[in-house]
Amino acid sequence: MVKFVRQLQFQLFLLPILAIYSLFTIYPLIKSFFLSFTNFDGYTEAYDFIGLKNYVRIFSDDAITSAISYTLFFTFGKALLVTLLAIPLAMILDQKFLTRNIHRAIFFFPSIPSGLLLAYIWGFILAPIGSGVLNTVLRELFNIGPQPWLSAPLLAKLSTIVVATWAITGWHAVLYLAFLQSIPKDYYEAASIDGANRLQQIRFITFPLLAPAMTVSVMLLLTGGLKVFEIPFALTKGGPGYETYSITQVIVLRGISETQYGLASAMSIVFFLIVLAIAIFQVTVMQRREQGIQ
Amino acid sequence: MTKTFKKRLWILDILMLPAGLIAFFPFYLIIVNTFKTMQDAARSPMALPSKWIFKNYVQVFEETSILRSFLNSLTITACSVVLIVLIGAMAAYPVVFNANRLTRFAMLYLLAGFMIPFQATLIPLFQLMSDLHLIDKIYGLIILYMSGSVFVFFLMTGYMKSIPRELPEAAVIDGCSVGGIFWRIIFPLLKPITITSIIFQTMWIWNDFLAPMLFLNSSSKSTLVLQIYKAKGEFTVDWPMFMTLTVITLVPIFIFFIIMQKHIVKGIAAGAVKG
Repeated sequence: MVKFVRQLQFQLFLLPILAIYSLFTIYPLIKSFFLSFTNFDGYTEAYDFIGLKNYVRIFSDDAITSAISYTLFFTFGKALLVTLLAIPLAMILDQKFLTRNIHRAIFFFPSIPSGLLLAYIWGFILAPIGSGVLNTVLRELFNIGPQPWLSAPLLAKLSTIVVATWAITGWHAVLYLAFLQSIPKDYYEAASIDGANRLQQIRFITFPLLAPAMTVSVMLLLTGGLKVFEIPFALTKGGPGYETYSITQVIVLRGISETQYGLASAMSIVFFLIVLAIAIFQVTVMQRREQGIQ
Repeated sequence: MTKTFKKRLWILDILMLPAGLIAFFPFYLIIVNTFKTMQDAARSPMALPSKWIFKNYVQVFEETSILRSFLNSLTITACSVVLIVLIGAMAAYPVVFNANRLTRFAMLYLLAGFMIPFQATLIPLFQLMSDLHLIDKIYGLIILYMSGSVFVFFLMTGYMKSIPRELPEAAVIDGCSVGGIFWRIIFPLLKPITITSIIFQTMWIWNDFLAPMLFLNSSSKSTLVLQIYKAKGEFTVDWPMFMTLTVITLVPIFIFFIIMQKHIVKGIAAGAVKG
């Protein structure tokens, strides 16, 4: 009996988390799945099961297809750019030069404030009109006319990637830096005794040992990228047209604003599956790569 | 170190200067424009003010409810983070110190939460919040944020495994209750991971935009981020005013950054190295 009471007391500690998580995460997910097969509009109590119709509609809805392709483009573009910049940045910030700490702080700080606020600041720089800061610089230095940084489809997409990269590269450099600093100095000494030059040391010591950091960093970049919302929303409001609509923004638009619950729920489920697929794929591929180079 | 080596490092200072300036430029831009008039800012956005003015700062405090929003952000963040850390730490306790089939199942069940994006639950969540009358309530948002405890739970579980089992076992012999062991012995030992959890949850909740945008309507309940969003619509032409609001909002974040930088870096490193 005493044992039973102790067991019960232990399990009670799990109760709050299970209650919150079941109510605010699992139940809504199951309901999303259920609603995705219905034509529920949020108002009328009566609704019908319409099978896979919502899932078919996803692919004929311009806003949704555009949001899926933009979100994937943004996610992979940002992940690539951040990785290409963060690794050399980490290697530089690992050196003991005079202004190292100032540079660390400057690159790292943008990862702390909200993305919405940062994107609004960049909105002044990238303003497509002549008085935009970047356009002023281009005019005065090179006599180039105003460029539509945020209003031409491809430029707008690239601009959102650049801003997101500026905001998060320092954070990922810190992550790589932690790994760099855990590499024993003996490795480099041994290599240089064996006659390896600096580039060979980077190629054969630093990169292989950074592989686990890359797995973590790329995973965070991909899952974070798929959930993108604030940066394009603040820079372009999703425009021009639906060109920079993120998946999140389109779920809010179709689901909450237009109360097309069935359609938006189908979109949510597809989104969930995309996140799941990319995460599983990425972790398996990167771990195999880690084993390959180590 | 040899002389040539030091010389090479000196080159890094020069090489990094332009990169640093570009990275810092957006902050320079907004700060410098808060001291200009609208016309001055429009004419030469990058130059130093032709005449330094400070009325933008006065005006922001007079015309916007920024203090109110600051207090709302503070209340929401503080309450949510405390609850998240407590719930997460509590849940880790039976999983680590009383492992059985039930706790293993609970752990797997919670693990699924990592893969479920907030967006995938958005539509039913919106209905649920409105059914429970939690929309446009500060405490409604706090309750919603409590689901962040799943992340903290896993941090805590990892850390708690490093606590020697003899500690709670000795306490049992001394007649300490299940709850007593947790609150008096285990929880105080969790300080380092609690600090990491608090920092990351604070940054998430303080900066969150989607949930406040969806679940808080009245302006008296705005968070700071929501206030920035609304101000963007109000001050479309008055760039200096909007920038001043932004700079004021950045002040507490900057202070947080200065105080916590070491802890944040440590948290990233620990999380990354463990995977």
